[in-house]
Amino acid sequence: MIFSELYSAYYNTVAAVLKAACGHPLEKGELRRIIGEKAFGESALNIAPALAEERWQLLRADGTTPIAHAPTMPLTALQLRWLKAISLDPRVRLFPEAVPDLPDVEPLFTPEDYTVFDRYADGDPYADEAYIRHFRLILRAIRERTPLEIESATGRGSRVRRCLMPEYLEYSEKDDKFRLIGSGCRWGNTINLGRILACAPSERLLEPGPAARPEQAAVELELRDRRNALERVMMHFAHFEKEAERLDGDRYRLRVIYDREDETEMVIRILAFGPMLRVTAPEDFAELIRERLRRQKMFLS
Amino acid sequence: MAYSELIKNFSRIREYMREFYLYGFKSRDEYATRRSGRSYDDERRRLESWLGDAMRFRQTTEGKNVFISIDTRVSRHNPLYAAWKAKSFTDGDITLHFVLFDILSEPETALTLAELMERIDGYLQGFREPRMFDESTVRKKLKEYADEGIITAERDGKTVRYRRAGAEMQPDSDLLDFFSEVAPCGVIGSYLLDKQGAHDGHFAFKHHYITSALDSEVVCSLFLAMRAKRAVTLEIAWRRREWIRERQAVPLRLMVSAQSGRQYLMVYLPSIQRIQSVRTDAILSVRPGAVCDRFDELRQTLDGMAPHLWGISTQGRTGQRLEHVEFTVHYEKNEPHIHARLEREKRCGTVERLDGNTSRFSADVYDAGELMPWIRTFLCRITSISFSDPLLEARFREDLREMYAQYGLEGGAEA
Repeated sequence: MIFSELYSAYYNTVAAVLKAACGHPLEKGELRRIIGEKAFGESALNIAPALAEERWQLLRADGTTPIAHAPTMPLTALQLRWLKAISLDPRVRLFPEAVPDLPDVEPLFTPEDYTVFDRYADGDPYADEAYIRHFRLILRAIRERTPLEIESATGRGSRVRRCLMPEYLEYSEKDDKFRLIGSGCRWGNTINLGRILACAPSERLLEPGPAARPEQAAVELELRDRRNALERVMMHFAHFEKEAERLDGDRYRLRVIYDREDETEMVIRILAFGPMLRVTAPEDFAELIRERLRRQKMFLS
Repeated sequence: MAYSELIKNFSRIREYMREFYLYGFKSRDEYATRRSGRSYDDERRRLESWLGDAMRFRQTTEGKNVFISIDTRVSRHNPLYAAWKAKSFTDGDITLHFVLFDILSEPETALTLAELMERIDGYLQGFREPRMFDESTVRKKLKEYADEGIITAERDGKTVRYRRAGAEMQPDSDLLDFFSEVAPCGVIGSYLLDKQGAHDGHFAFKHHYITSALDSEVVCSLFLAMRAKRAVTLEIAWRRREWIRERQAVPLRLMVSAQSGRQYLMVYLPSIQRIQSVRTDAILSVRPGAVCDRFDELRQTLDGMAPHLWGISTQGRTGQRLEHVEFTVHYEKNEPHIHARLEREKRCGTVERLDGNTSRFSADVYDAGELMPWIRTFLCRITSISFSDPLLEARFREDLREMYAQYGLEGGAEA
C-alpha cells in the first residue's frame, strides 16, 4: 500500500522522539523541537498530548521509554520494488553509489511500462563514459564545495574555459538535459553538461556564494475558457508561481512569474494556446507576440 | 467527527489539492456547493498544516480564495508528497508498531506469537493504565506487516515464528533526491529520503510538474496490474467529475507528458475492442482483475501504433484511420536552430530541409488536432500549412485571424 501510516510523518517523528529518549530522559522542550522539525505545522497539538496522556504507550511520564533500541524499520516490498525499477533507468549510472543489487525483487515498473512521449529527442548522452565522468566529478565538487575548471563548447562551436564554484545541478524533464548552476565566474555561471569537453578540480580560491537566482519577470494573461482551455492552461503553467482570478463568464486573468532568461520560451508557450490566451501586460511582452503575428500575417497572405 | 490533521482516505484531499494548486480562484462558497462548508474548512486547515507557506490567500469581492503557489524551480522536493505522509492510524497501531520492531530489533530474533505477546506486555507495564493487546490484534498486525514485506513469517510444522525482514539499506541521498522527483511514483523515493533525515539537496528542476504526485496510488496500482499482466476495473470520472462510470480495461502503458503535466494510461477496452487513453487524474480507483492472456499481444499492438501517435489520441475527429498534416517554415541563414528545433521536437513526424531557408514537417497521425498547439509555436515562420481534414485547417486559420484581431492586426491580408 502506497498510502500507509508506515511512511507517515507521525511514525517518522515518533521514531526520532524514541531514538532521543533511548539515550536520555526526554524533556518537553526537546520533544517539541523534534516534532517541529519532523512533522507538520499542527502536529505538536496531537503528538505531544498523545504521548503525555499515554494513549501511545511509548514514552513514560519521566521522559524515559521502554523502547531499548533506536527504532528502525526494514524497507517495505514496495520500496524495494521502486528501487529495482529505478535501477533500470539509464540515468542511474550517473550516480556513483549504485542502487543495491536486488536480484529477487520484481521491479514496480520497467521502461516498457511508461513513456515520456513529448520529451525532446536530443537529450543528454547518459551512456557516454565521458559524460558520466563529468557528472560524477561535478556532483562530488558540489558535495565537497570545491571549485571546478570547466572547458565547454558554445552554441556557435567555439570553446570556453571557466572556473566556478558548483552550486547545484538543474534537470529539465522536457529537454532531458542537466545544467550546472555555479557561482563566482564573471563569464557566466550556467553550463550545459552535454557541452562540457573537459572538467577538473581547480586549485583556484573562489569565494563560495549562493548561485544568483535568474532575474524574475511577470506576464499577465487573459484566458477564455473554450475547448477546455482553462484546465489546459492551468496545467501547462502549473510549475510556475502564479495567481489566477475569474473576471466574468468564461474569462480569467492569470499572472505568471517566470525567469526573464526564458522569455522566448514563454512567448512560444503562450502562442501555443492560440486565441484562448492573450497577453495583457506588460506591453513590451505583448509586442513580442504582436511582432510574431505581424510576420506570420505576411507569410500566409 | 472531531477534526484531525491525519486522513484515512486520500480521494477527497486529492480533489481539493488539485483544485487549490491548479486553479486557486474559487471561493469557499463554490466548493461548498459540492461539499459541506465544514469539509472545505477541514481540508483547507489540513493543507495549511502540511504545506505551510505554499498555501496562500487572496481577498476578492467573492470572498477569501485559497490557493497553493509553488515555484517548482526553487522547491527541491515535491511539497505535495506531504499529503501521502498523513495517513491516520489508531493509538494501538503506533504503540504496537514500535514495540514489535523493538522486540524484533535483531535479524536473528525469531519469536512465536505467544512469545511476542509475553514480551509486549512487559513493555507496557510501566504505564499508568497498561494497554492490553489481544492475540488476534497482534496476529493481524503481523500478517499486515508480512504483506508489506517488513516481517517474515517462518513456518516450522505447526509453529510460526516471526522475524524482521532483512532489507535495511540506505540508498544514496542524491540518487533519491533526483529520482523521487523525476521517476513515476516518486513519493516512494520521498519515503526513503525521510529515513535519512535532513541533508543538502544538490538538484533543482526546471519544467517540473508536480501534480502527478496526487495520482501516485492510482499509478502504483496500475503498474502492479501491468507487471502481473492483469485486467482491471477502473472507476473513472467523466466531464469534470459530473458522472462516474466503471470500465473493464487492460492497462498497457503509462504515457507521461513533460510539457503539459498530464499523465495518461493507454488501455484496451474490451467493451469497444479498442486501445484508448484515459487521464490518470480522472481515474478514481483501480481494482485488479484476472490475468489477461492477451496482454503481450495488446502491448505489441500499442507498440505498432507508435509511428502514428503524436500524443495519446488514437482517433481523430474525422474517424479516418490516419490524418495527414504538413507545414513549411522559413528561417534566415543565421537561424539554424529552427531546423534543429523541428528535428528535436518532431516525434513521429518527418522533417526535410527544402533549401537553406526552408524546412518541411509532415506526419500521418491518428489525430492531427493534437499537433495544433505545437504548430502554433512556429507562428511567424509558417509559409504553408495543410491538413487532410479541411475543418481542422479552417479552425487553424480562423484561430489565426482571431489572434490578429486580439493584437490589433485585424484587416489586411487574409490568413
